[in-house]
Amino acid sequence: MDHAQFRLIIPSQTRYLNLVTGLAKRASLVAGLDDSTAAKVSIAVDEAVTNVILHAYGGEGEHSVELELRFTEQALEIHILHSGKGMQSDQMVLPDPKEYIKHPRKGGLGLLLMSRFMDEVQFKADEASGRNECCLIKKIS
Amino acid sequence: MADLSIAVRLVGDVAVVLPAGFINAHTVRDFEEALENLVQDGRYTILLNCQDLNYISSAGLGAIMGLIETVREHGGDILLSNLQDNVFAIFDTLGFTQLYRVFADEDQALAAALPGRKG
Repeated sequence: MDHAQFRLIIPSQTRYLNLVTGLAKRASLVAGLDDSTAAKVSIAVDEAVTNVILHAYGGEGEHSVELELRFTEQALEIHILHSGKGMQSDQMVLPDPKEYIKHPRKGGLGLLLMSRFMDEVQFKADEASGRNECCLIKKIS
Repeated sequence: MADLSIAVRLVGDVAVVLPAGFINAHTVRDFEEALENLVQDGRYTILLNCQDLNYISSAGLGAIMGLIETVREHGGDILLSNLQDNVFAIFDTLGFTQLYRVFADEDQALAAALPGRKG
């Protein structure tokens, strides 16, 4: 089998973040990534799921967040799907770390961590289902 | 086990904070409160000993960023020590190792924060 995938659906509550990041780390190891890279993937997933819970759903805990993990020979793909407020890739504005250090403030670093720790970060909208997706891809070297 | 526990002890004028576990959007309020309580008590030099910190997300970084200016305005600072590799990678990736003084262990950090201190 050259392609496997499975799904996990969690309530849109931050109490489940630890479960999700633990899964992302283990999945990364299964995919063949090393410990250090697996830790980075788990951070990226934390940031993506936190964004969905706090921003797409505005902190409302009665919604669902679906994670789909796809294992291929080339990459581990983690798709995070939700029905909350969407974001498109062209709306992704990354803070400049040098400016950030000159003018420290709270927030704005999650997207930067996601983009630094993953090979690809994509935001998509599926008009047919009305759902939005954040796709995180880590290549297997 | 709780996702996060936080111990605080005082060494001279330095408040040594030992977060153990995970700092993420779920636990960050506890971490933020611990730091804010210290600042409210006039403790402006804070050493985060991260030996038992497995993980910190941007929520936790935001909590630290939110206080750095306040403590420095009062002549204090936030120092970091004993960072695990993945926690160091987060700080370093974002360039925060230029913003905070990072030490290999607590003794080195205390020696820097308390120049007259004898080990």
